Amino acid sequence: MNHATRRWALAGLVLVLVLLPVVGSRYVVYLTVHILLLGLNAVGFNLLFGQTGLLSFGQAGFYAVGAYTCARILLAWPSLLPGVLGGTAAAAVAALVLGYLSVRHTRIYFAMLTLAFGMMIFSLAWKWRAVTGGDDGLVGVPRAPLELLGLVVPLPTVERYYYVVLVAAVLGVVVMHRVVHSPLGLALRAVRDSEVRAAHVGLDVRSLRLVAFTVAGAYAGLAGSLLPPLENTVTPPIAHWTASAEPVLATLLGGIRSFAGPLVGAFVLVVAKDVIVRFTVHWSLVLGVVVVVLVLGFRGGLVAALEGLALRAPRVQPAAAGEEGG
Amino acid sequence: MRWVWVPLVVVALLAGASWSAAGPATCALGVPTIKLGVQGAASGPHADYGRQIEMGAQLAIEEINAAGGILGCRLEMRFMDEELRPATAVRNARFLVTEWGAHFLYGVDSSGSAMALGPVLRELDRIQFFTHAATHRLTEELVAQQKIKQIVRVSAPVYQDAVAAWLFRDRRDVRRWATIGADYEYGYATWAIFREQMRRLRPDVEFVGAAWAPFLTTDFSPHIAAVMATNPDGIIATPWAGEAVTLLRQALLQGVFDRIKVWFQAMGGSVDVLEGISQEVKEGRFQGKLYATARYIHNWPNTETNRSFVSRFAKRWNRMPNYSAETTYSAIYITKAAVERARSLQTDRVIAALQGMRIETPAGVRVFRSEDHQFVYAVPAGKVVWDPRYPIAVLGELKVFDPKDYWRWPPFRPLELSK
Amino acid sequence: MEVLAYQGLIGLSSAMYLWLISAGLTIIFGVLGVLNFAHGSLFMLGAYLGYTLYGVVGLPFGVAVLASMAAVALLGAAVERGLLRPLYGLDPSYQLLLTFGLVLFLDDLAKLVWGGVFRIPPIPPWLQGSVVLFGRPYPLYNAFLMATGALVGGGLWVLFDRTWWGRAVRATAADRDMAAALGIRTPGVFSSVFMLGSALAALGGALSTPVRPVAPGIGAAMIVQAFIITVIGGLGNLRGAFAGSLLVGVLSSYGTLWFPEFELFFVFAIMAAVLLVRPQGLFAR
Repeated sequence: MNHATRRWALAGLVLVLVLLPVVGSRYVVYLTVHILLLGLNAVGFNLLFGQTGLLSFGQAGFYAVGAYTCARILLAWPSLLPGVLGGTAAAAVAALVLGYLSVRHTRIYFAMLTLAFGMMIFSLAWKWRAVTGGDDGLVGVPRAPLELLGLVVPLPTVERYYYVVLVAAVLGVVVMHRVVHSPLGLALRAVRDSEVRAAHVGLDVRSLRLVAFTVAGAYAGLAGSLLPPLENTVTPPIAHWTASAEPVLATLLGGIRSFAGPLVGAFVLVVAKDVIVRFTVHWSLVLGVVVVVLVLGFRGGLVAALEGLALRAPRVQPAAAGEEGG
Repeated sequence: MRWVWVPLVVVALLAGASWSAAGPATCALGVPTIKLGVQGAASGPHADYGRQIEMGAQLAIEEINAAGGILGCRLEMRFMDEELRPATAVRNARFLVTEWGAHFLYGVDSSGSAMALGPVLRELDRIQFFTHAATHRLTEELVAQQKIKQIVRVSAPVYQDAVAAWLFRDRRDVRRWATIGADYEYGYATWAIFREQMRRLRPDVEFVGAAWAPFLTTDFSPHIAAVMATNPDGIIATPWAGEAVTLLRQALLQGVFDRIKVWFQAMGGSVDVLEGISQEVKEGRFQGKLYATARYIHNWPNTETNRSFVSRFAKRWNRMPNYSAETTYSAIYITKAAVERARSLQTDRVIAALQGMRIETPAGVRVFRSEDHQFVYAVPAGKVVWDPRYPIAVLGELKVFDPKDYWRWPPFRPLELSK
Repeated sequence: MEVLAYQGLIGLSSAMYLWLISAGLTIIFGVLGVLNFAHGSLFMLGAYLGYTLYGVVGLPFGVAVLASMAAVALLGAAVERGLLRPLYGLDPSYQLLLTFGLVLFLDDLAKLVWGGVFRIPPIPPWLQGSVVLFGRPYPLYNAFLMATGALVGGGLWVLFDRTWWGRAVRATAADRDMAAALGIRTPGVFSSVFMLGSALAALGGALSTPVRPVAPGIGAAMIVQAFIITVIGGLGNLRGAFAGSLLVGVLSSYGTLWFPEFELFFVFAIMAAVLLVRPQGLFAR
């Protein structure tokens, strides 16, 4: 696909997203907010997994740090921006500290370490009742108005809040696109492909991993801190390791090697779950089969599979170089 | 870059689908059917509750439809698994209301899910009849304080567990109490309410020990051992459903019933628990020391309404109705009464029609308490016994107390939760 | 003092389930390099099969346990040959992901087949009753568990240290290419190790049925505990897994006495600390 069509397609997508509250039902809008949140989380995660080669099973921990911090701020000071920024910052700090410890390892040991850290955050959410409200969580979190430069925008409906999330998601994706295509992104991929080679050309492997870890944590935190204003509630299950699997699955589903993979995966995962549960309670049976098939047969994910189909089409393709970024 | 089109097409389809949802109106209330969205736990060790909620709802709907519906409007149900996860319950509720078009909501087992649903119900402006979740905060905080009028609870809340204090009021030989508690809000609230009542009734008792088992515990033996080390006369236990059966089995293994005088299993009157321990009850292994209550038990009250409900339920499903089935069944009949009085599906009118409602249900007469939208009714407590007339163990030697005595009443003081 | 001793003994018997599940997990990791997320689900399947054969079909308890071990071992072989084998050359993350997919699949499949309703069959008559220890009745079943756990430990030691198969396995674990060059059929070794691990998980599950509830989701709860133990003991270290199981079992038993509030937190904190300070495990030589 050439640049012109790509631009048109992107413009079309943005147009649909902007018009969604007009054409779609309230539930479609609500679902799309969830797609955007998971998309943000997964895009951040893929900087760690796809770009840097580290599989984290603890992203739910940072998501929860963002969500709980934002909820506490909003309960004390009902203004959206401080809540979201505070939540994101708290998650980034947590990721920086835990990342400093985690990036000593790679592969299985890294995955186990992040699992342990994530579960430590989960048990704090569960047990530190004074701060987190225990198993009932924090309830009655207001969807506080957006206050910016003296302007106060109240957000009584999900439709309005949707635009806040949309702007945050677009900003997040654009920034990530820049990061991936910057020298930093190149360095991260060098670390992924060969740690030894990267170290030999003078890259500080551990610092690079820490940067990726912190950015991923901040993205999880941003997604997490956008949650309480939507649902008015934060509860411990969002921090559990099974929740950490969601960005992993989304990324895997969409494809780890393409920039858009995690976004497509988030879309497919949320929509598929929503559609499947309408027909059967056994949706995770289906999801399990999909994961197994993807790992065995389509490790590039949906994006690569679709691009593969496109490549097979009998027409002249531009050189594949640069497709990495999608 | 083909991928860009995939979401585009699907979004367009979804949007189109949701547009074409409107249909022809038929019945007296101006809707094709009255849609009831129902949620319960349908997975994990507590899954029988969701199943019972679904069975109770379906039975009520079949009966009402067979008798001509509500003001000529047929009822339609959609059941969803809340997975005991607040996020899932909230998403389900939003789907049921904004996408499927539910007029009323029912169910949920988890207190966490119930608390999370509260603000969402206000935003969606739909009434949910809660039929199991027991936290006192749902009605005391969200309704009485925060005025979320869309919350109505048909089932007895955690107050019911304080009945233990009244049940053992005259047992002078039971002086040392301990708890094996569910390590979350429900367990703490039960222990707090029980102690509050017991201190009032029996200043001489001591509370000697507590062990807390987190949700989904499979091995209670350390908790049992820890509590038994304090030599209690009585134990009050709050793990429920499959966890209660496991706990009682493991207590038998450690010979607990040789060493204590009474054991009160708060939700032990639940059908799934009674089924699970039937064999042991039959063999007398609890030595007549096991007591329990529930939010409804099928062998009380001895009224025509209840007897006929139990026999219809047993005929339809080949099971005994658990309390989550009765509460959901009754909630749908309460809806019927309120809608017929309001002649409308609008939230405000239906709530107005609930004011002052006294309604005969299988569990007995339920009375609407307007301060916190809680239906008040009495549930007995009793000894777990084997009665050859029933296929499973039942509660016998039933004692009924007036909810005036042991429920909490407005104005509410916050409950001191401590371990 | 007696209270502490009794509490410790209770913890020891709980530790046996942990030992049976983490033994298989750590053996499979040690030889195949695969960290099997679905190992907890195999425990769950063993429990379901044990329950069905013993509690529903009515086979003698011992027969039911052995049969469910055999069935799960066969399933393990199928998983290893059909699903894992194509992934051996790849980044281990993919194996983790594949087995996670299996967790989703198997847990939901169990729900489909056995439904949500749990049942606990009665304890076999010859295992009912109790013995008096430290002045309190101690369940015979728990004593039986400890004996079984010790027996399995001894059996594994003999199997790995004293048999030809054990030497082949150890050689493969140390260097699979060299082992293959020496004429050891490494694919066969992989399959048999995976089968053994699966059978051990099923043994733990089947033994749990008379006293613990069987439900979808018990696998997910067990696997996290098994991860903790195998990490503390050192991934791939069988002796470490044994010691780790005893440590975690006894500690969480004392935890309900001493620090119930943050038991979960401390267990994961220990796991993280071991990974950071001594990633080869506390019990590595």
